[in-house]
Amino acid sequence: MKYLSLNAFFNECGAEILKAVRAPEYILPTLILPVAFYALFTFALPNSGANSARYLLATYGVFAVMGPAIFGFGVGVANERDRGWLKLKRASPAPSAAYIGAKIMVTLIFASLALIPIYLLAGFGADITMARSAWFMLFGLHLLSVLPFALIGLTLGFSFNSNGAIAVSNIFFLGMAALGGLWIPAFLFPTALQKFATTLPSYQLAEIALAIVGAPSQSGVDRIPMQNLMIIAIMTIVLAGLAIWAWSRQRN
Amino acid sequence: MPALEGHVIHTTNLTKKYGKNTALNNVNIEVGNSGITAILGENGAGKTTFIHACLGLIKATHGQISMFGLPPGKLTSRRRTGVMLQDADLPDLLTPREHITLFASYYPAPLSLDDVLDMCKLTTLADKKYGKLSGGQKRRVQFALAIIGNPDLVFLDEPTTGLDTDTRRMLWDVVRKLAEDGRTVILTTHYLEEADALADRIIVMNAGEIIADAPTPEIRALAGGAIIKCVTNLSVKAIHKLPDVKSVRKTGRFVEISTQNQASTLQGLLAADINASELVVKKPSLEEAFDQIIHNQEQA
Repeated sequence: MKYLSLNAFFNECGAEILKAVRAPEYILPTLILPVAFYALFTFALPNSGANSARYLLATYGVFAVMGPAIFGFGVGVANERDRGWLKLKRASPAPSAAYIGAKIMVTLIFASLALIPIYLLAGFGADITMARSAWFMLFGLHLLSVLPFALIGLTLGFSFNSNGAIAVSNIFFLGMAALGGLWIPAFLFPTALQKFATTLPSYQLAEIALAIVGAPSQSGVDRIPMQNLMIIAIMTIVLAGLAIWAWSRQRN
Repeated sequence: MPALEGHVIHTTNLTKKYGKNTALNNVNIEVGNSGITAILGENGAGKTTFIHACLGLIKATHGQISMFGLPPGKLTSRRRTGVMLQDADLPDLLTPREHITLFASYYPAPLSLDDVLDMCKLTTLADKKYGKLSGGQKRRVQFALAIIGNPDLVFLDEPTTGLDTDTRRMLWDVVRKLAEDGRTVILTTHYLEEADALADRIIVMNAGEIIADAPTPEIRALAGGAIIKCVTNLSVKAIHKLPDVKSVRKTGRFVEISTQNQASTLQGLLAADINASELVVKKPSLEEAFDQIIHNQEQA
């Protein structure tokens, strides 16, 4: 039976990849947008240099994984739920872990595809020098960032129909990117917005990423990266609870 | 709850309420481990709710369901079950071959992909995108998903609604073959003809309740008697006074007389109108039986 679930998981992964590759119009913007923004803010604007390139690498990396995670789960799940596909899966012996696991796997692949050009640009174009271990830690953190955003997407996908999910996913995607300080550092925000920013997973993840690259904190004061890690861990657990609740509501 | 030996499905006082609406009311059904059972009823009778409850897709308000001796929705019983739902559409961008292969991976001992493609007349469509298929072709893919796992129990919720005759015939053939192989098939339909042609047993539902549950011939016999069709000068009122007449219906120049006892009614008819012509005596169809059952229910 273990083998059976694994077999189902690989088949689900294959199906997810085929679906994504056959509809490139959905996935391409989320892959191109982050690197385009990164190039624009790092090279095209004045005051750019290795320091701001390093700063932006940390925050735009978080931004790059948000798209595939929130839209892949939010819109993808809402669409498949709308057409009754998920209901059939729940009635069949499809292991839900294989379905979710495959979606996470594919999101990680697309997140990597969004991250790699940014890393190349940062390493070769902007001449950022960091220890190899810092590069790997940063990449690992950026990939792990998929998890909380995927959980947000999952909750949205279970709560809205496909049209609603597109709109709400956009709000979460843009809102968390802008207000979490991924585009413009949060220390430039008015005080109330700065406070609000700390409640967002995007902000907390960016703080950890900034610590890894050795850039200053967005809060303007000394940071304690362990504290950011704790906060994001708790947020992820809460988001997982929300997603499970939204999932179980399907069975009314 | 005691799982009766050999029972695939066993519900006890199964009730499902949505707010004030009762979708299922004290439904008691036992289905053994073979044969074709048709659940017959109009839209909103509770057929789909019943299937969804058995599959664990919805929670019963009260009452109990046992599937293969287990509560509904357990993985072990889902691995023995194949399902075709009424309103479940598949992702457009995958092909029938990919869809069926994916579902095969959920089951411990699935059938061969080529066999199922062949049985469901999908071989030439196997590599076309699902989204490009016609409605009937899509239903065939959905049907293929229900049987690919080689399941002991197959649920088909309105499998032939909106299908062309060829596809319907194909589906009937496969369903009969499943039953011959000792599988249990539960299908819902509002086509009486379909229940009549396929099922060994018919459960009639109306407004969330079971109003009849018997082998197909018995359901047909429930209407009892016979129907006399003829052209006569007698008024409907006069026909009603003939012996053993249950009901009279005018259809064009014909009258249809439903009778408890064809011999006495015929005698009376011919005695009253020697010119009555184009006489036909027939057994009531399932449709007439069905009308009768619903009619009796409403009067009770």
